Amino acid sequence: MNNKNNKKNFKTPEGYFEGFSDRLLDRMSDAKGNLESSFLPKSDGFMLPDGYFDSLNKNIQEKLKVEVPKVIALNRRRKFYYYAAAAVAAIVLLTVGIQTNINQEPTFENLAKTEIEDYFETNDLGMTSYEIAEVIPIDELEIYDILDNKIEEENIIDYLDNSIENIEELNLTDYEY
Amino acid sequence: MIAEETLLNELKQLETQAKAFEVLVNTYKERLYWHIRRIVLNHDDTDDVLQNTFIKVFKNIDGFKGDSKLYSWMYRIATNEALTFLKKKSKKLGISDSELQNKMVSNLQADVYFDGDEIQLKLQKAIAILPEKQKLVFNMKYYQEMKYEEISEVLNTSVGGLKASYHLAVKKVESFLKGD
Repeated sequence: MNNKNNKKNFKTPEGYFEGFSDRLLDRMSDAKGNLESSFLPKSDGFMLPDGYFDSLNKNIQEKLKVEVPKVIALNRRRKFYYYAAAAVAAIVLLTVGIQTNINQEPTFENLAKTEIEDYFETNDLGMTSYEIAEVIPIDELEIYDILDNKIEEENIIDYLDNSIENIEELNLTDYEY
Repeated sequence: MIAEETLLNELKQLETQAKAFEVLVNTYKERLYWHIRRIVLNHDDTDDVLQNTFIKVFKNIDGFKGDSKLYSWMYRIATNEALTFLKKKSKKLGISDSELQNKMVSNLQADVYFDGDEIQLKLQKAIAILPEKQKLVFNMKYYQEMKYEEISEVLNTSVGGLKASYHLAVKKVESFLKGD
């Protein structure tokens, strides 16, 4: 009931509450401002060199003249850096690619037979006949693995004829093993 | 004083650019100087930042679409340049932003271009400890007497927010000055 009466009896100007906070803050600022101005200096004590503003325009113009070519130079330099970076990247990629190929471990299968033969021919293995005999199985050994030239049958007969007294006693017959 | 729109058109045309830029510098140099000076405090640093601000304005004028007023745009550039300058400086010295602020205020005592008395120096100390936004609002409102609407365009903050910031800033400054 009281609320109703209040609403009927008291009225506020239209839009009063809409601008209330602004008006309050204005009043607070002004009150503080006035209070401050009563004991706060409005001047802040800062000074300038004599004639500073007179030469300012000239100084800015000079700085602008210096800065303009500098900007162009920076752009060019930036482009140069882009190209340089691209070149460095290409070199790095190529080097890495080549290095990868070089670093591949050689396998026995990759070696050509001629390379192996060359190796044995040009390098002293440092092995004695006995050591070679140990590592090479005898049953797989052929006479011509050791001898370069084939012994002709004639030479054998000649050898036997000269070495023994009667060659016929050997009873050599064709196709007899 | 030349109308902003005319000045802007002249700045964008090659034949009139140089003259228009001179007008622009002469029109805004003092206001921007004091805006920057109250952020970086030292004259030489202010001079560097101010020149860089105008150079940036000149180089980017073609990109200015006119969504805001020219002076607000320039103020925005000046504010960003000054704050970036301070951030670089603190990084270079290897100290925090608040340490740099204290150092800058301490240096004022030996600064030949600072003639402040004890209360003015104390006021600078009080401003130095304010958060960045409150500091900017305080300087723009208290010293430069800018309208909230103008500050709002520069800092891209609502007028209500600025009023609250200013109120808080004044309260903190007051409390600092009455502190001891």
